Amino acid sequence: MVHALSEIHRALAPNGILIDLRPLTGGWPIEVASSREVIEAGRVSDLPVGLEDDKAANESMARAESQKWFTREREEYFPFFYYWDSPNEMKKYIDEDWADFVTIDEETWKSIRSLWAVADADARMRVRVKMLISRWKKS
Amino acid sequence: MPLLKDPERTETKALHRFADFDGKRMLEIGCGDGRLTWQYAKSAKFVSGIDLEADDLRLATIDRPSDLPVSFARADSIHLPFGKEKFDIAILAWSL
Repeated sequence: MVHALSEIHRALAPNGILIDLRPLTGGWPIEVASSREVIEAGRVSDLPVGLEDDKAANESMARAESQKWFTREREEYFPFFYYWDSPNEMKKYIDEDWADFVTIDEETWKSIRSLWAVADADARMRVRVKMLISRWKKS
Repeated sequence: MPLLKDPERTETKALHRFADFDGKRMLEIGCGDGRLTWQYAKSAKFVSGIDLEADDLRLATIDRPSDLPVSFARADSIHLPFGKEKFDIAILAWSL
């Protein structure tokens, strides 16, 4: 990652800007969302790989800052929602695409299915992913 | 596949709060299928998007509107196939 930041520094013009946009682990909420209400059904469990990825990324940016390649100007967190038509579709996606870094325990699945059984007709499942955006100026 | 990703467009809004893309020379690292690229490319001078996933790049190339100044390449961020000081803004798109 540090090598990539060195390359970006090289490719950017003087006073160029780097935007770092990425999801962060942190037990993303799982919600049953309808037009009438949003109910939290539980949270995903972070797996070690995801936590290590975050740590490595943060350390790389800190290294780039200490090397005076970039200066942090601002940062924000914001939610990014994934929606599915049903718990089964959500489970299939998570099992196939997110299996390396999050999991959902059996108790949470029970809660999801219980809430889904009595949810509004227009309800969908969603996961609220925590996102970081930060802006860095080439030093 | 999920039914929808970010229908509220919070990501696009955040991106535009953090940078002005008007007339800028853009590098997007981890462009994937171009989902994020399309959100700012119209105002940029040009966009060079790179990714390692050939299937995603194929989709991005197919979906690219002909009037957008965008090119895609399969490349690794640790060996950027570009000259020195070529870009005004670089975006690490879910890729650090």
